[in-house]
Amino acid sequence: MFLAAFSPKDDREASPDAALVRLLLQNDVGAFEKLYDKYSRIVYSLVLRIVQQSGPAEEVVQDVFLQLWRNSAQYDATRGPFVPWLLTLARNRALDTLRLKSERQRRLENQTDELFSVVVAPQYEKELDEKRRAERVRSLVGELNPQQKRAIELAYFQGLSHSEIAAELKEPLGTVKSWIRNGLIRLKEGLHTAS
Amino acid sequence: MSNCDQFREMYEAYALGALDPPERAVLEAHLATGCAECAKSVAEARWLVSQLAYLAPEAATSDMLKGRLMQTVRSEAEAKSSSSVSTGATTTASGIPYWLSASIAALLLLTLYFAWDAHRLKDELRAANEQNQRNEQLVASAKGEFAATQQKLAAMEEQMAKMHRETAILTDPSSVKIMLAAQKIQAPQMVAMWHAKYGIVLTGQKVPMPSGNRVLQLWLIPKARGGKPMPSMTVRPDANGNFEVLVSNPPAAGSDTKALAITEEPAGGSAAPTTTPKWVGAMT
Ligand SMILES: [Zn+2]
Repeated sequence: MFLAAFSPKDDREASPDAALVRLLLQNDVGAFEKLYDKYSRIVYSLVLRIVQQSGPAEEVVQDVFLQLWRNSAQYDATRGPFVPWLLTLARNRALDTLRLKSERQRRLENQTDELFSVVVAPQYEKELDEKRRAERVRSLVGELNPQQKRAIELAYFQGLSHSEIAAELKEPLGTVKSWIRNGLIRLKEGLHTAS
Repeated sequence: MSNCDQFREMYEAYALGALDPPERAVLEAHLATGCAECAKSVAEARWLVSQLAYLAPEAATSDMLKGRLMQTVRSEAEAKSSSSVSTGATTTASGIPYWLSASIAALLLLTLYFAWDAHRLKDELRAANEQNQRNEQLVASAKGEFAATQQKLAAMEEQMAKMHRETAILTDPSSVKIMLAAQKIQAPQMVAMWHAKYGIVLTGQKVPMPSGNRVLQLWLIPKARGGKPMPSMTVRPDANGNFEVLVSNPPAAGSDTKALAITEEPAGGSAAPTTTPKWVGAMT
C-alpha cells in the first residue's frame, strides 16, 4: 500500500471532520450522528443519481455510513480529506450495485481495498462549504462542451470505460480520452482559482 | 522519473475507473512497484474525481433511513462497549483470511469455473467476516458460516487435486490403456487408464443403469494362480449412463494384475464378487 508515502497535514488533523472521525474510534454515537447530518445529503444525492431508485439508493447510503462506523479505523489510517474519501466510497458502492443489477462482469478488484483508497487534496485546496463547492463544480463542468460533459458523466455516474463511452457517443476513442482528461483538468484549475 | 511520463495521461481516467483493462493493468503494475510519485498523482486525481459528486441533483434522504441507521449504530456501540471480544484474528489487513488468498492464487490457474467459484466464496467469506465483526450475538453463527465456507474450499481443493491427478493419468505416456469389453450384454466398452504412480481412471459411456440401488464395482484380477479378485471402487453412472472414477490407490500393482473386471453389486459394494463380470479387460 502507499499509505506510508503520505503524512497527514497538520491543518487537516485539526479539521472538525477529522476530529469527529477520531471520535468514531471510541464508538461515539453523537459524532457519528453529526457526520451523518452533515453529509448524508450529498452522499444520498450522488448514490441516487447513480442507482436511480430511492429504495436501493437508501440501502447503499446505509451501507456506506455503516462502513464508516464500523471501519473508522481504516479511514483513520489513510487520513485523506474526509468528504472526498466518503464520496469515493459511496460512488464505488453505488456502481457495484449497478454492476450486479446489469449482470455486468464484476471487476475482480478487492472491494475491501477501497477502504484504503488514498485521497489527497491538492496543496492549493481551500475550504469551501458544501453549497459553494457544489455551485463551483456545476458551473465549471457546465462550461464544457455538452458532449465532453456527457462523457465525464457517463464515466462517473455509470462507471463506463473509455471504449464504452466511445461506443455510446459514437466518437473516436482518442477524442473521448482527451475530452475526459482535459475536462477534469479544467475542473481542477477552476477549483484552484476558486476562492 | 521520466519513466513515469507515460502514465501521466492516465491518472484521472484511472481514478475515474474509465481506463480500459489493458491500460489499467499497465498502470496498476507500475503502482504495485511502489512508485510514490504516481501513487500521489492517483490520490490527487481521486480527490478531483470525487468533486464530480456535486453534479448530482440534490435529493433529500428520508427520516426513516436515519432512524434505522442510528438504531443499528446505537446497538452496536452498546455491544462494543460491553464486550472485549477480539475479531478478525485470522484475517489479513484487507479482511480476507490469509489462507484463502494463497488458495485462490492456486485455484485461479486451473479453471475459470473454479476461479469464479473461489471469487464467490471470497465474497461469502467477507460477508461472514463482516458479520463476525458486526455483532457479538452473531459471532457464533458467523463462525459457523466461516467454517462451512472453509469446508467448501477444502472440498474444492480436493476436487482440483482429483482433476489434476486424472489429467496426469490420462495424458502420461507411461499409462497403460485397458479396454473392458461387455460380456453377454449390449453395451459399449469401458476404458481404463492405469498409471503406476497416480492410479486408475475408469470411464464408461452409455452404460446400462444397474437395477434399484445396485452399483457397478471394479475388481483387480491377480496374476497369481488362485488369487482372489481384489475389490475396488463402486460407481453408478449418471442419467446418460456416463461415469468417470479415479482409483487413487489401487489394491494391487499393475504388474501383479492380470485383468480388470466389472460386476454389478449391492449398494456399498462387496468384498468378493456376487455376480458374474459384465465387463472384462485384460492387462496388456
Ligand atoms: Zn511512477
